[in-house]
Amino acid sequence: GELYCSLPNPRNVHFESVNMKNVLHWSAPEGMGDGVLYKVKYSVYGVGKWIRKPECRNTNRTWCDLSSETSDYEEQYYASVKAFLNGRCSDWVETARFNPLTDTKIDPPMVSVSSTEKSIAIILTAPEKWKRSPERESVSLLQVYPGLQYNVSVLNKKTKKRWFFSINNNTLLVPWLEPGTAYCVSAQIHVPTPLLHSGFSKEYCISTLKDKTA
Amino acid sequence: TVGNKIFHFGPCRVSMSMTEIRSGFNTIKANIQARDPIRTLSILSYPHSLHKVKSSDRCCVSHQLFNFYVDKVFRHCRTEDPYINRKISSIANSFLSIRRNFQQCQEQKNCVCDQESLEKLKQVLENYEGLNVTAAAMKALGELDILLDWME
Repeated sequence: GELYCSLPNPRNVHFESVNMKNVLHWSAPEGMGDGVLYKVKYSVYGVGKWIRKPECRNTNRTWCDLSSETSDYEEQYYASVKAFLNGRCSDWVETARFNPLTDTKIDPPMVSVSSTEKSIAIILTAPEKWKRSPERESVSLLQVYPGLQYNVSVLNKKTKKRWFFSINNNTLLVPWLEPGTAYCVSAQIHVPTPLLHSGFSKEYCISTLKDKTA
Repeated sequence: TVGNKIFHFGPCRVSMSMTEIRSGFNTIKANIQARDPIRTLSILSYPHSLHKVKSSDRCCVSHQLFNFYVDKVFRHCRTEDPYINRKISSIANSFLSIRRNFQQCQEQKNCVCDQESLEKLKQVLENYEGLNVTAAAMKALGELDILLDWME
């Protein structure tokens, strides 16, 4: 390899994180793509050494899953990428400091609905934190963010009237509804601090039962 | 105020504008952390994370760290960017009022550090004074989320 690295650098080296699945992404050096290989290393902020990621050594992919290495969300991290092509190399290019707790995106909650004649019962489930393997114990994001809240939207499909609720626990009973009417429910996660929120879930529609006395 | 959070330290209660501080910090975080080239040292987390502090000492350690930021850090955090400076001042003012809120806990003797926590605070100061003052102040400011994450 070269003593002095003359290859253009990888670009836009950054973490993309969803539910603390933390994946390093980058773009190929300007004007290059085919044949470029990469190496990846990472470090814990405040700790001296850089650690190589063997699974991403000499890879031609432009991403590298570092979820396992960055799973302790009480720590913060840096990662770095270097490009190689035909015996030439680039400099190491680093990410900004990555804080899994504040820099992750959160998926919408799971929504399940049931109905009676005049009410709808809604049960919400926060997504799980990324885990190394399915056998591992699940950790709900509710445990990571104890102040987690839900914003719930309920739409009367007939009148197009919509209500919004903000709740701390994961169940909501919406009373005094019209029998035999379709309602659509959508929900979002909101974490007051550190300030995070998911998108709204897709709509889950259900009809209240018909009024037996009518 | 919206976004204020009440922290309970035993019988003592301290109100903190966490949402305001967090959103102010989030807007300057990338800029401030980019000014800190030293990856191998953390002022707040070296050698041990704040998460090792005993819960009984959280009031005292929090109070002393707010003193540290008000007395030593913010005054050395000027940048060439007026927008960044305004955000830093806003955070500093929030810290000033929170520090006053801690005063009552101090007077009620509910905010006492034991030896282990005094060692931790001493280490923070040593880490800070081991760097030149501007570099140290910027590093400490860039670690504000470490303090806020631990407190919450």
